[in-house]
Amino acid sequence: MNKPTFTRRSILATGSAFALALSLTACGGNVAGSSSTADGSKFPSGPVTLTIGADPGGSTDLIGRALAENASGPLGAPIPVVNKPGANGAIATKEVGAAKADGQTLVILNASLFAITPLAVSAGETVKIEDYEVITGISQDDYVLVTNASSGMKTMDDLTKAGKKFNFATTGVGTGSQLAQALLFKQANIDGTDVPFDGGSPAMTALLGNQVDLATIQLAEAMPQIKAGKLNPVVVFSKERNQYLPDTPTAVEAGYDVPVSQFRAVAAPKGTPEAVVTKLRDSFKKAFETEAYKSFNEQNLFTAAEIDGDQVAKDWAANAAKYKELTEKYDVDLGGGK
Amino acid sequence: MDFFAPVINGFGVVLEPTNLLYCLIGVVIGMLIGVLPGLGPAATIAILLPLTYGVEPVTAIIMLAGIFYGAQYGGTITSVLLRLPGEASSVVTVFDGYALARQGKAGTALGIAALGSFFGGTVAIIGLTLLAPVVAGFALDFGPPEYTALAMLGILLVATVSNGSKLKSIIAASLGLLLATVGRDTFTGESRFTFDNLSLADGLDFVPIAMGIFGLGEILYNLEERHNKVQAPAKVANVWPSRKDLKESSGAIGRGSLLGFFLGILPGGGATIASLAAYAMEKKRSKTPERFGRGAVEGVAAPESANNAAATSSFIPLLTLGIPANATMAIIFGALLIQGVTPGPQLVQNDPELFWGVVNSMYIGNILLLIMSIPLVGVFVKILRVRAAILAPITVLITVIGVYTINNSIFDIWLVIVFGILGYLMKKFGFEPGPLVLAFVLGSLLEENLRRSLLLFGGDPAGFVGRPISSVLLLVFAAVMLLPLLQKAFKKARASAPATTARHDEKERV
Repeated sequence: MNKPTFTRRSILATGSAFALALSLTACGGNVAGSSSTADGSKFPSGPVTLTIGADPGGSTDLIGRALAENASGPLGAPIPVVNKPGANGAIATKEVGAAKADGQTLVILNASLFAITPLAVSAGETVKIEDYEVITGISQDDYVLVTNASSGMKTMDDLTKAGKKFNFATTGVGTGSQLAQALLFKQANIDGTDVPFDGGSPAMTALLGNQVDLATIQLAEAMPQIKAGKLNPVVVFSKERNQYLPDTPTAVEAGYDVPVSQFRAVAAPKGTPEAVVTKLRDSFKKAFETEAYKSFNEQNLFTAAEIDGDQVAKDWAANAAKYKELTEKYDVDLGGGK
Repeated sequence: MDFFAPVINGFGVVLEPTNLLYCLIGVVIGMLIGVLPGLGPAATIAILLPLTYGVEPVTAIIMLAGIFYGAQYGGTITSVLLRLPGEASSVVTVFDGYALARQGKAGTALGIAALGSFFGGTVAIIGLTLLAPVVAGFALDFGPPEYTALAMLGILLVATVSNGSKLKSIIAASLGLLLATVGRDTFTGESRFTFDNLSLADGLDFVPIAMGIFGLGEILYNLEERHNKVQAPAKVANVWPSRKDLKESSGAIGRGSLLGFFLGILPGGGATIASLAAYAMEKKRSKTPERFGRGAVEGVAAPESANNAAATSSFIPLLTLGIPANATMAIIFGALLIQGVTPGPQLVQNDPELFWGVVNSMYIGNILLLIMSIPLVGVFVKILRVRAAILAPITVLITVIGVYTINNSIFDIWLVIVFGILGYLMKKFGFEPGPLVLAFVLGSLLEENLRRSLLLFGGDPAGFVGRPISSVLLLVFAAVMLLPLLQKAFKKARASAPATTARHDEKERV
């Protein structure tokens, strides 16, 4: 386990360095799980901190910030955003999980952290969806398998008939990109070597430079190059066709059992009073309906997936089980075994 | 003429009052955060992103770009005066810049650095203007094998950069390489040296290490030395470099600018590697390499020209390919996306006003910075007149806050303290901190790309030789490694004719 002292200290952070400098001396007293505002009438009793487990500028960060901006009005309190990157977001997620369950500290969750990362790393480094009160689903970010346009390969048929061994770029170990490709190629009997890169942009660069034959990256990242005709989309890994790439078939349509998408949700620590959760839910719902937020989604090519919180928890748990079953069935190993 | 019309239009965009104002705000902020150790341009730009929501895309990016290259100017000031590199790319400036300051020539060092930065920046903008439309194909030929060769070359150069004993440098560099292995293995997800601590899952961060070893370690060491009273230079006089200094450094500025420009274009290259390579190149080229580290003007001129040229040219892959070359570019990429502009191959055609507006704002920004650097230097020098007992805790506070703001992580503060103690001990026992920090940066680059290359080659190391760029880089690597040995052999064989050896050396380098 990571050192609990750090976690407890850090929940005092409100985003300003000054407050943190204070917390160094004032730390200690906050014990997780004590619920004092059971009726929620006093909520929010100050700024509601939204923690993001990724670097500023990435898609998780953009979504979090757009949401915070549009939800703070309906909530009636400012929503400062705090970035705590590290370990695929596990650091931020664990920290908020241990925070006081009063709704004042929220976190953006990435589905891959719950469903895919555990397939690659040791148990001590993972988090469980049961430990959170999911407020609402946010949106869906789809993965797309792409080839360099100069290769001439456009469809799954082209790939299976090529009869050669492919080098395929992933956005990293324990990501949806790696899982989706590993499962797809195993099912399609395509021989390939998995080459992990440090994120989507380096993976795409390698493909554009013909350093690798294939790559699976997030749709928003690939889109400019697809539009420019430099990359060919082969399949998307969502269950249904993606609205921004309506002509590209899904892997499921192509006959492969590989439904993998990146979902995001916003959550509070387990044990947050029902009334507080309801209030937060309403505020986020109003944020989803604003024009500003809708056009943000469109500009960044995110597909809205504003699913009810309880359903999100169920879906993600089911996905985790499904991925585990698929990796066992097709003997795919994301971690250590290489 | 078709080529120039949009360029001229770009100037029209920059000269709008709002854009000029934001350009000024950007470079002033950049200069300030460059001076503040720890708080880098990446963190600052990220923090200021919300400010850009309300303005035009071109205005926003002009300001953010100003912060980035402004920081390259500012980072020099603390390197020279306090031996605290404000930015990673100013690390090598410390070696000679601080030595000059100790000799009472801080003004010369800062003046040369400002001129070099200006020249480097300007060369890079002109290059950006001419090259941007054609560069697309070149950067993509750099794959994992090329980066492997580049990192190997870099680490070898690290060993030749330091001044102390070779053995101690190698020990320090090895420690740096070892530190680079901490964290989750990016190929298997296995945890290495993390001791089940999630804060270590992504490995150690460069900033706390650099801030600890260079910043805190130096402060601790200085406090111990208090009785010997190492006085900071009381005055920065003669900021305008003398004719002799200019003559000595003009070659270094020219070479540094060109080298920096090309290294900056490469994704993952950037200002830090450029400054390091430029310093090593000047030291190798010099007929009097023993002056380096003891206050050679070229040792300031070359890396400062190079890091500014590289900072500017790292916009090329972002604006032409949509590929961020470093962390700061990644954040600017994010800023463009927020504005509804997607950087990519189509940007120059679809959004010429934005592209050329941003590029041309850099001319203005660099002129502003040059004007500011000279008078503002006096303000920063005043910091030095404050007694160490007051300055030291303030610097520590700034360092700790700065480090915290990057990841909002208390763990990073502990790291700074641990590495501060390590830096102090290293200094006490005569180990140069430079090789450790630079080997740490290049170590993960080397490991990841070597393993990636071998995956691509199916495990056959012969693949490195089969690719033109990587094989050339490996040849250079071999040349750099063998050169000292050859030189020794030559010196022995032709002890009577040293002039010939020197000329031979020059040819090899050019």
